[in-house]
Amino acid sequence: MGPKQKGGPKQKGNNVGEEVEETLQAVVCFPFSLPLSISRPAGWLWDGVKRTVANARKVLADTFETRFEPFTLDRPRCLLPLANTPLIEYTFEFLANAGVEEVFLYGGAHSDQLEKYINGSKWRGPSSPFKQLTFLKSTSTSVGDVMRDLDGKHVITGDFIAVSGDVISNMPIEGALAAHRARRQADKNAIMTMVLREAGRNHRTKSTSFSPVFVVDPTKDRCLHYEEIDHHSEQSSRLNIENDIILSHSELDIRQDLIDCNIDICTPDVLSLWSDSFDYQAPRTQFLFGVLKDYELNGKTIHTHIIKDQYAARVRNLKAYDAVSKDIIGRWAYPLCPDTNLLPGHTYELRKGNLYQEQGVTLARSCEVGRRVVIGQGTSIGDRTTVKNTVLGRNCKIGKNVSLDGAYIWDNVVIGDGTRVHRAIIADGVVVGNDCRVEPGALLSYGVKIANGMTISEGKRIAALPRGDGDAVATDVAAVGEGGVGYEFFHHEDEDESDDESDASSGLVYNMAKLSFSTESISTLSSEVSDIGFSRSESVGDSESEGEEDNFVHDAAVSLYDGLRERVSADVVQLELVSMRMTANASDHQVRRAIVSSFMKQIVQLMEGGKGAGEAVRDVFSKYREVVDRCMFDRDSDKKPDQVDLLLLIQQELAPQNRGDTVLLFTAKELYELELVEEEAYEQWWADERSSSTDEMKKVRGQTQQFVDWLANAEEEESSEEEESEEE
Amino acid sequence: MPSTALALTPGLASFLKSLKTNPIDTSIDNLISCASKYLPQYFFEIATDTVARLLKRRQIRHSRSCATATAYLLLRVISACRTTDAAKLIERVQSVGRRLVAAQPREMVVGNIVRRVLGLIRDEAEDDRDAEFALSEASESQPQTPRVTDDPSVPHERDTLSLRHEASERSSSRPPVASSTTTPISMFSLLSHPEPEPSLPGSPVSVSPSGRVLSHGPNKDVRAEVLDGIGEIIDELGQVDDQIAAYALDHIHSNEIILTHTSSTTVQRFLLKAAAKRKFTVIHAESYPNNHEATHATVSGNSGGDEEILSTESFQKPLIALGITVILIPDSAVFALMSRVNKVILGTHSVLANGGLVAAAGTRVIARAAKVHQTPVVVVSGVYKLSPVYPFDFESLIEYGDASKVVGYDDGDLVDQIDVQNPLYDYVPAELVDLYITNLGGHAPSYLYRIVSDHYRKEDISF
Repeated sequence: MGPKQKGGPKQKGNNVGEEVEETLQAVVCFPFSLPLSISRPAGWLWDGVKRTVANARKVLADTFETRFEPFTLDRPRCLLPLANTPLIEYTFEFLANAGVEEVFLYGGAHSDQLEKYINGSKWRGPSSPFKQLTFLKSTSTSVGDVMRDLDGKHVITGDFIAVSGDVISNMPIEGALAAHRARRQADKNAIMTMVLREAGRNHRTKSTSFSPVFVVDPTKDRCLHYEEIDHHSEQSSRLNIENDIILSHSELDIRQDLIDCNIDICTPDVLSLWSDSFDYQAPRTQFLFGVLKDYELNGKTIHTHIIKDQYAARVRNLKAYDAVSKDIIGRWAYPLCPDTNLLPGHTYELRKGNLYQEQGVTLARSCEVGRRVVIGQGTSIGDRTTVKNTVLGRNCKIGKNVSLDGAYIWDNVVIGDGTRVHRAIIADGVVVGNDCRVEPGALLSYGVKIANGMTISEGKRIAALPRGDGDAVATDVAAVGEGGVGYEFFHHEDEDESDDESDASSGLVYNMAKLSFSTESISTLSSEVSDIGFSRSESVGDSESEGEEDNFVHDAAVSLYDGLRERVSADVVQLELVSMRMTANASDHQVRRAIVSSFMKQIVQLMEGGKGAGEAVRDVFSKYREVVDRCMFDRDSDKKPDQVDLLLLIQQELAPQNRGDTVLLFTAKELYELELVEEEAYEQWWADERSSSTDEMKKVRGQTQQFVDWLANAEEEESSEEEESEEE
Repeated sequence: MPSTALALTPGLASFLKSLKTNPIDTSIDNLISCASKYLPQYFFEIATDTVARLLKRRQIRHSRSCATATAYLLLRVISACRTTDAAKLIERVQSVGRRLVAAQPREMVVGNIVRRVLGLIRDEAEDDRDAEFALSEASESQPQTPRVTDDPSVPHERDTLSLRHEASERSSSRPPVASSTTTPISMFSLLSHPEPEPSLPGSPVSVSPSGRVLSHGPNKDVRAEVLDGIGEIIDELGQVDDQIAAYALDHIHSNEIILTHTSSTTVQRFLLKAAAKRKFTVIHAESYPNNHEATHATVSGNSGGDEEILSTESFQKPLIALGITVILIPDSAVFALMSRVNKVILGTHSVLANGGLVAAAGTRVIARAAKVHQTPVVVVSGVYKLSPVYPFDFESLIEYGDASKVVGYDDGDLVDQIDVQNPLYDYVPAELVDLYITNLGGHAPSYLYRIVSDHYRKEDISF
């Protein structure tokens, strides 16, 4: 291989002689707003060895969002077809073009499907441009988690590119990479370069609901301030730029015209920054904003690389799906066009008028195929049907007198005679009867059947498959007609916490006001704490509406659990907890929730490891007594709401557990013995109606009955309980 | 630093470099993962995929780069092929060729090179058989040589004598191979084309990945001959511009006004050669939007480091350095100036069997304007660009490029409202061209069919 004389005296770095190879790495995240990475190890920069081999790594993750519901109910978003090619293919093309050699993929929902797809794709083949394609499994629910996970795994050895799994771009990255490296060589604190595409004020691929605003120092390409302006809220249409920024820079660009596709070139320092800030979830609103704000503190700078030509976009919601499809068909993303046939087996050819047609298409003599149409193999179109601005998948059957305009029809769809479909998305295997009307913005998900003569009104979403939580939903005859299959799908708006991007999604497909594709995004995954092992499905009376709150509980519980497992001393755990509480401004209740969930998990863990319940409980609580003690502040008052709350949380946490009742008993006893909870609190707890609200709750506290009874007569007999516990 | 950064994006240069400088296991390490894990016989699959991918992504895009990449790839494929059976070789080359062509059907030179290699194999196989025939006539006891009668493409009904006759006729009428070996190699061309050296005929033996010496039996080894032949094709690709330029003085006269288009290196070389002896004026249309930057660079002489263009050209002196007046005009001014032009010299992307050509967008306008003014149109093109394809549907030969070169993508309103088409090529019908100059000399468009039949065997026209 190439010349490799490593200048002996110049050799820097800790791992002397070990890391010779430069690697370009990339990270792709799927369902969140993603980062993907390319990097070459730093040694390359310093020792001046010229290497022709660009190695790369990237990590892929799934976008943790639900904007594509109901399609994403049972398929990962990056496998949804865009102009009949799965989204992920475009991302991989981009990475391959950029010369990335190692790719790390982070999958979100349905990552098994994604993994299967990738294993079967050409990217795994011997001729794949990627030396390494690693699918990393994690419980990540956000970009922040992915970054922290990456940091923990120590797989990133040099600069890397972070992208999301839905990026479509034909730009060569080397200019940005070279600029990044040059800057980094000059100043170690230049940790990240964001690649942004310049675009006019209005652009179809831009979000209509919020605009990112970058304040950039054009002389150094340094990003000084970042804010997102929400077009829906009246208050936020102004920027808050600190005086210092204005005073200390002679030139400032305030730009709102940039398309941000979350293509970031990062150094490994970025990962450690993410790790330091355990509460960051989103790469822009939180991480970028945070790092810029803390410039005084840590001196890290973030730069921008603004490109003026080439194509770059992200398919972040259905509106963008529409826009990017049009761009690809209109050859704006050349050479990423249907007739490039990215997938093996595709045989698209370009005809006049941006008509892409695969071999084996059957067109009736009298049908009219207009401009901007993609037709897949095996599709047949009946007499007097008109098709324009439409993407048709493979093996579709379009009847006679059908009118298709602006429709996205995936594979194996049957559309009956006389039906009109305008600006709607119809997923795989849907059957639409004769003389139906599918109005703009309607979404028909996998396997839906629509009976003859139905009208699917604007913006309706019909799904046939059970939703994520497993409740089978009966066919809704009103929605799909007699003999149809499917029900109207409503998004759980109430779960939505609008985080930076979520309302972007209400950017309605095709600008139709009634559609809200709003999503539960990054910070809102409803199951954060379930990672810790317990389902919180029926949580304490008090709401779990606040996404931030949940994040705190989740993060704190994870960190506490780690501490417990590694048997870190109580002060350290306590310190960490306090710092997290301060950062997130969390309430005492949340702190208790985090404590309970991590402690219980550790106890269960110990029990599974063969310890008796009593021993496990004592083990955990006696060592970390202090931690529990510091979360309750009602020792001196008459009412003991904090202690009761703690007990309730414990009860609740244990309710679904196997042997939960036993653990509860021992925990109650241990808390009493450690003088953490006083008798009065037990009484109040027992009396509290919440503690016996459901059967499960009643059951779990069954065994504890004896302890409470005993407490009542505690003065008299003390030792009897002791013995009883040993019998257990 | 910038040069290393550029090497990041895979392209022809990196591909060739890896093919040339490294043993087979690691040769395309930077393009392909885990090649080394696979046995050499799978190598060609990997390399084929790589080239196909480069073609698809348009990371290799000039005609000559495509041709060179294809030739090197086939060189590798054949040397990695352990069989000496001509039929198997043909099959393998065909399968590789089909994949390459499928990857970028509009890049016709790829198919041309594959056809020529197929022709080479067939010739060698037939020569071999002839020799064998003669040999077996002499000594009847030659047991071990099964004749290549299972070659599906060889018509069985013909007797061997006529076959031999035909083969010898063909080989004598195949000028490209002959000419590339017989043309005296000037000092200049030796210096300016150092890159094919490592794979010049003679060296393939050492290049062979398997490390086996390629002499198996006196009669059987078609491969060595074929490899030599491919080496000659690669040589030809390196020398073609100089060979064409040798005709320059016959066509360009003093004080003429020449109109040209695009940054074609063949045309530049042609004009430069004439400029050494004569003074004339060049009007250069800028070929906006797909090629104008390169054209500007060519005219002003500071071509940026486009790695795709072989490095020697970037050191070439511009015409103005030789005292030639060069006038750069927008494409729209072509018609207005045509009345003063004495001759139009055009480069091309590929030439079709009927004498029509597929060339950079804007060529047809120029050719038409020239026709109106009765100005002679001369097309300079290497023979390797001559394709046996007949343009029944010339629309399908035209590639459409990046729309954002015409209207900026940042103009959101326009992007949303209008369809933008950016054809990269034009089809120019044969009647608009007066003369073709190839490395074999000047031909009328109507004569091209003859050259086609000299270069490609009809079995291979659709392989």
